[in-house]
Amino acid sequence: MGILDKNLSLRNRNKMLVGVWEDEDSLVAATSELVHNGVKIHDVYTPYPVHGLDRIIGVRRSKLARVAFFCAMTGFTLVTTMIWYMYVHDWPMNIGNKPVRFTPSWAPVMFEGTVLCTAFGMAFFFFWRNRLVHGIKNELLDDRQTDDRSIITVELTDNTDQNSILETMKKHNPVELREFHNGVQTTI
Amino acid sequence: MGHGHHIEIKQEQYTFSPKTKRFTIILMVLGLVLAGIGIANLNNDSHSTATEHKTEANANVHDSHGKDASAHGDHAAAASHDEPAEHGNVPNEQFGPRAEYHSLNKPATTRIFANLLVAGYFFLMISLAALFWYAIQYVANAGWSAAIKRVPEAVMTFIPVPLIVILVVLFLDKNNIYHWAHYEHLHLKPEDAGYDKILDGKSGFLNSTLLFAFPAILVTIWYLLSRKLRSLSIQEDSASKGDVSFFKKSIRYSATFAVIFGFTISIIVWLLIMSVDSHWYSTIFGIYNFITHWVSAITIMAIIILYLKKEGYFGIVTAEHMHDLGKFMFAFTVFWAYVWLSQYLLIWYAQIPEEMYYYQIRWEEYHYNFIINFALCFCVPFLGLLMRSAKRNPVVMTVIGIILILGHYHDVWFMVFPGVFGPGMQIGLLEIGTFLFFSGVFLFWVFTALTKRGLIAVNHPYLEESVYHDTGV
Repeated sequence: MGILDKNLSLRNRNKMLVGVWEDEDSLVAATSELVHNGVKIHDVYTPYPVHGLDRIIGVRRSKLARVAFFCAMTGFTLVTTMIWYMYVHDWPMNIGNKPVRFTPSWAPVMFEGTVLCTAFGMAFFFFWRNRLVHGIKNELLDDRQTDDRSIITVELTDNTDQNSILETMKKHNPVELREFHNGVQTTI
Repeated sequence: MGHGHHIEIKQEQYTFSPKTKRFTIILMVLGLVLAGIGIANLNNDSHSTATEHKTEANANVHDSHGKDASAHGDHAAAASHDEPAEHGNVPNEQFGPRAEYHSLNKPATTRIFANLLVAGYFFLMISLAALFWYAIQYVANAGWSAAIKRVPEAVMTFIPVPLIVILVVLFLDKNNIYHWAHYEHLHLKPEDAGYDKILDGKSGFLNSTLLFAFPAILVTIWYLLSRKLRSLSIQEDSASKGDVSFFKKSIRYSATFAVIFGFTISIIVWLLIMSVDSHWYSTIFGIYNFITHWVSAITIMAIIILYLKKEGYFGIVTAEHMHDLGKFMFAFTVFWAYVWLSQYLLIWYAQIPEEMYYYQIRWEEYHYNFIINFALCFCVPFLGLLMRSAKRNPVVMTVIGIILILGHYHDVWFMVFPGVFGPGMQIGLLEIGTFLFFSGVFLFWVFTALTKRGLIAVNHPYLEESVYHDTGV
């Protein structure tokens, strides 16, 4: 697991407040109010995409598009070099008396190579970035967070006021409120 | 939905502002003036009257068909002597009659009619593509587009105008535009000199009756379905809130239209455009033409929406909707290039003489047009719309959109003109004028149609979903 950032793991962080919701609208309302009060939210886990939530918690734009562009350029260069080496430099072939250099027949291979590298590059980058590599232990804060529960996590530091955060969360009808520290959860 | 912030949905009524009206009229007048100068230049160029040309032309082609069948060495003699090796490749059997057909001194008016055909066809297909886009939104149960659905509704009202233009052009000048129509007119029997087996074999489909019947009947059917969809949409406006019966009916009519259109659009393309190169055929030509106009239609709709937003309408249409339209433009730009290359690559590789001449004349005699065509239809929009920020920027979208539309208009011009006139044609004032005039008429018509009803489909069941549409961070 060398490639993984240990700090990303929830176990290696400070004490967390975990609020569990079953209603999407209350979740969004709670999140907005927390953000409005200046609380720094660690993350919100939902089983399905909730519209507008990304903007509320200030998720930055994914860098996947840049990775895609980089992979596409890599694939394009690789494949063009490959065709050139095989078909022009190393072993030119006369097929239907067509020229060998930079003809339209290169285009499908260049396209496919570009797409292939982009697809694999993006998939691997996505898995790596989201820590979905083989052998990882899941870090579900609630067994139902991939089913029908949504979770707000707030990391507690010296400056955070735990009571006021709990107050705000309670206003929006959470199903449960918990504390999470060193891999142990306790209900509040 | 509806968390975070609430957006109020209000009906908006578009009024055709004098400024916009002036702009469309300027386009029309400028188009007419430029086309007029172009026509005047044509008349100065030709030294004899059109009728003389025509009789001369008929005699010529009759003659040429005779020569071709018997002594085809004549053509070889007329062609280049210094490259005898080429004669094995160049298909004189195919090329001969066609080259002779091109070398006819066609009347100057043919260029006017060919231009009208290009413009009529382009705007007909754009209106149809807008209708198809509208139908697809219903068939796919799409929610995001509900806020802008009045724009395709307005664009599709334009369908009958270019149809009439095309039918008039065909009536007046089909023999000079289509080689096969000219040939049909000669009534040759197999034993006659100049008999063309290929054209005779195609005469079951390529004949004057079907040339008029198919466009007239098919476009009328599509237009009637579009009228029905339009009336369902306006009835929905005055229905009670939550009444989805019109929506469900729209889905049914859209599905009907999509199926009919999908199976029959190619017929129009074959008859009107592909048959210009009468000996040639390409199985991908139908989809190629469809994509050309599909991406143009989406672009025109995007530009109209951006313009309306700039005038203060469409408050509920956000950068999210424009982003999705931009994705449409970008995706189908790529798809256009895919189909363009597919058609070119197979013909290039197979090197079958009767297929090859389509590209031979376009590559050798119209080299710059060939490159400009690919640059305007693919390179510019691909690089221009690649970035997310470009799709959300009204200025970039408008500029790239206009380039894209010019490119695709040139694409249609490029399909028709080398086929009708052979080598040596160029875009002149007449072409520019025709395009500007038709754009003016089109915009005038569409903006007038927009005033006929509210800009927002207030009772569309997915309107709220569309208003809160979000493509994410």
